[in-house]
Amino acid sequence: MIIDSMKASRRQFLQSASASLIGLSIKGDRPIAGSFVNDSFQVGHQLRDRASFPEPKQLANHAVVIIGGGIAGLSAAWRLHKKGFSDFVLLEMNDQVGGNSRWGENEITSFPWAAHYVPVPGPKAVFVRELFQELGVLKNGQWEERYLCFSPQERLFLYGKWQDGIEPAIGLTAPDRDQFRKLEDLIHEFRATGKFAVPMELGFSASTAGLDQISFAEWLRTQQMDSRILNWYMNYCCRDDYGATTQNTSAWAGIQYFASREPEEKGPLTWPEGNGWIVRRLMERLNKFVQTNRMVHRITQRGTRVRVFAGHTEYQAEFVIFAAPSFLAPYLIEGMPPLHDFEYSPWLTANLTLDRLPASYGTDPTWDSVFMESPTLGYVDATHQSLRSHIDRTVWTFYWALAEGSPAENRQLLLSKDWNYWKVAILHDLGRVHRDIRGCVSHIDIMRMGHAMARPKVGAVFSEERRTLKKGVGHILFANSDLSGFSIFEEAQYRGVVAADRVLGRIGGLRDRDHRA
Amino acid sequence: MGILLFITVLLIAACGLIYELIAGTLASYLLGDSVLQFSTIIGCYLFAMGIGSALSRYIDRGLAYRFVWIELLLGVIGGFSSALLFLAFAYTQGFQLIMYVLVVVIGVLVGLEIPLLMRIIRGRYAFRDVVAHVLTFDYLGALGASLLFPILLVPYLGLVRSALLFGIINVVVALWSTFLFAGQLASVRALRVLCVIVLAGLALGFAQAKRITATAEDNIYADEIIFSRETRYQHIVLTRFKDDIRLFLNSHLQFSSRDEYRYHEALIHPGLSAIPAPRRVLVLGGGDGLAVREILKYPQIASITLVDLDPEMTRLFSTHPMLTALNQKSFLSSKVHIINADAFPWVDSDTDSFDFIVIDFPDPTNYALGKLYTTAFYKAVARHLSSQGLIVVQSTSPMFARDSYWCIVETLKQAGLRTYPYHVYVPSFGEWGFVIAGYRDYQPPTTLPSALRFINVDGLPALFQFPPDMSPMAMPPNRLNDQVLVRAYDQDWKDISH
Repeated sequence: MIIDSMKASRRQFLQSASASLIGLSIKGDRPIAGSFVNDSFQVGHQLRDRASFPEPKQLANHAVVIIGGGIAGLSAAWRLHKKGFSDFVLLEMNDQVGGNSRWGENEITSFPWAAHYVPVPGPKAVFVRELFQELGVLKNGQWEERYLCFSPQERLFLYGKWQDGIEPAIGLTAPDRDQFRKLEDLIHEFRATGKFAVPMELGFSASTAGLDQISFAEWLRTQQMDSRILNWYMNYCCRDDYGATTQNTSAWAGIQYFASREPEEKGPLTWPEGNGWIVRRLMERLNKFVQTNRMVHRITQRGTRVRVFAGHTEYQAEFVIFAAPSFLAPYLIEGMPPLHDFEYSPWLTANLTLDRLPASYGTDPTWDSVFMESPTLGYVDATHQSLRSHIDRTVWTFYWALAEGSPAENRQLLLSKDWNYWKVAILHDLGRVHRDIRGCVSHIDIMRMGHAMARPKVGAVFSEERRTLKKGVGHILFANSDLSGFSIFEEAQYRGVVAADRVLGRIGGLRDRDHRA
Repeated sequence: MGILLFITVLLIAACGLIYELIAGTLASYLLGDSVLQFSTIIGCYLFAMGIGSALSRYIDRGLAYRFVWIELLLGVIGGFSSALLFLAFAYTQGFQLIMYVLVVVIGVLVGLEIPLLMRIIRGRYAFRDVVAHVLTFDYLGALGASLLFPILLVPYLGLVRSALLFGIINVVVALWSTFLFAGQLASVRALRVLCVIVLAGLALGFAQAKRITATAEDNIYADEIIFSRETRYQHIVLTRFKDDIRLFLNSHLQFSSRDEYRYHEALIHPGLSAIPAPRRVLVLGGGDGLAVREILKYPQIASITLVDLDPEMTRLFSTHPMLTALNQKSFLSSKVHIINADAFPWVDSDTDSFDFIVIDFPDPTNYALGKLYTTAFYKAVARHLSSQGLIVVQSTSPMFARDSYWCIVETLKQAGLRTYPYHVYVPSFGEWGFVIAGYRDYQPPTTLPSALRFINVDGLPALFQFPPDMSPMAMPPNRLNDQVLVRAYDQDWKDISH
């Protein structure tokens, strides 16, 4: 063996030497192509700046108009359709539905643009289970193996090496271990109360409101949890799920992250295109109800009629399900006061095309790789869920929640820096662990999201504004996941389904009354 | 004078062709794929001759002097070409580069020879006679060389001494050219001395050839490697020690020709002979064609589909004479359909049904290979089973990787199959395990193909008995989302090596 490898290295050396003799091996950095994609700043800013919009030229009548084609809107549509209701339309601002579950595709694989997995749903997430049963993800009580994340799942780079899993497990001191154990015990107690659930509404209790009044960082301090490693991990988790640091996350949300789930199966559920797979399956059923490139610019309510203006069309509806991010509502709905408790984290994601894995890859190909000393969230391998045994080219989805500093400043930063700036930043981040990354990457597309995720800052989850929006305004019902205070698949789906059910109930009531009259 | 002149043409033509044949043979021998090697070498050589011919027009004066020099150079370069290539293969990885450079240099020199010679003798004969005679003897020389080479030279002299012999002939031609063209040469004496020195050098080389080959072959065969290639998918290495050929994929032993019959008879016959009227067989992996060789012992089988990832592997085992002798040209049978594809996606998308499915993959040494040992994979494979069909799986060693072996059995069970584990002893592997699986009951067969060397009817039931040190272990199944097998396999082998 040793002789073999010595020989190999000598041969490799000679090979490269002979290749350079004929001028083949000396190359400069290869060019990397790419651009910003899926930008939606422009349309958003038109709304913000109250630009003038065209007068309607045509009228469309639907019992229900759903605004927003992310998971919340699509789930509302799925519910309506499943209940046999078809007098509705879904309006999506972008040319592609999916919202945070949008996906892309190239010659190698499809890949996510943002949300890339769903944790194996617990017993309370009945709508998620119902959807997954319909999509063949859950069959006879068993999760379909090929949709569960393949081994090996996660790894963390720390102290110059890779460990399995993201929770730091190597190099811990005794106090670190004690604190991790103590936190686990506390979480266990919180879980046992049943007040932290997915969806959150099913556990929501005023008795936990106090936890929403302090930050997660502060709560950790009050529990004497000062371990640097533990705090790094807590901060990573908050950045990953909320796009915010522990200082900017309420303790309630920090605890919710850990106490709301008890995975019954080694998960999570994931697909090459991330949650885009779910969007694709939903669209197979709902395509005829969906209109893309329809930016709603005004919504008015008179009596029982809601008028929705989008482009040259005026939609008249009995009910509107507002599934777009709620912060847009005051810009659209006539007479709605501004919102203060809805804050959002700006994000940047990038899809990198790799013509080969870097020699410094380090382990067997893994789904999710995280670097401890990095402001970013690492990268996910889009070909990991491939059934193939041999994979030479792949796509990495790189995640970066701009969690440090104020969201407004970070949004400004996102807007002001060009593609090259972010490309260099991403390669620099990756390059600290994969020194040969530049030679492997041929393409980088970058997506900037100014308002990627609702941020559960202190006081946000229990805020009065959220309580009001959950009730709805007249014939407008809200459905975005931000009503929960944070953006995850299950919350979006739950809000969408519940809004659809409420609409159906009220329409049913109206119809019954009409009948009796 | 005339006849000597044309014998010169005949000899130099023979020399040129011999160097080309030597390069082609050496490359085929050392690198494999003779079609590729001969095609590219002949192509380069002829092209280089064209360059030589084109260059000849720039030689104005001293034609005879330059002709003698070309013969001397050819004698040295061509003569030592074979030895040089052997040493290059043994001591560098620049073998191919050196070989093509050598072929081009020799080609250019040979390309110069005939045009120069024709111009030297142009005045002595009518032009049409010059062309006719020179080309006639040129082609005659080529014929002679091409017959001599395989019949006499390679068997009796070997490649190194053949090259040296023809190097000597080139120098002899140089020497007698100094007599033939004495009138056109200035420093005849100096040239002749030079010729004699070079001749002595080549003769010495000829005498010492055994030592040159021994030095080179020592290095080549120190690790007994007769074939080594990094394909897109894996590193294929063949080694030979006396009559034992071994195949390694990514440095894992796949078979030893001395005892592979034990492995492949055990893989195929206990399952296949138990199927009433098998018609269609699927082999997943098995790119060496040895399992197919065993399957072809059943004349009633109409079709064998083999899915192997690596086209270089199946091509190697379809063409390399040493290997086709081993698999009895099984890949050349009209019943065999080779598909080069990644097995899991292929199994997942194809819809054919088969009576017998052979799963013969490398051991689950990493997560990529581990996918091919999961409940999801076995479920996908089982969809292809006909009603009486059976699957057989190569399942590592129940002795050295006991947890891994029983993990594979459990995985097949969890995929909804009945399992019938068995094991055999293969000297180069040790105790080796297989599992027959299917939706139906299995009984060991009572008849087997004739002339098997290892499996017999009486011995079959014993293969299904596991002594205490290999008896079942409670293991969880291997799943895509929880590949316990890869970790168990890693641990099993760590336990042995520590």
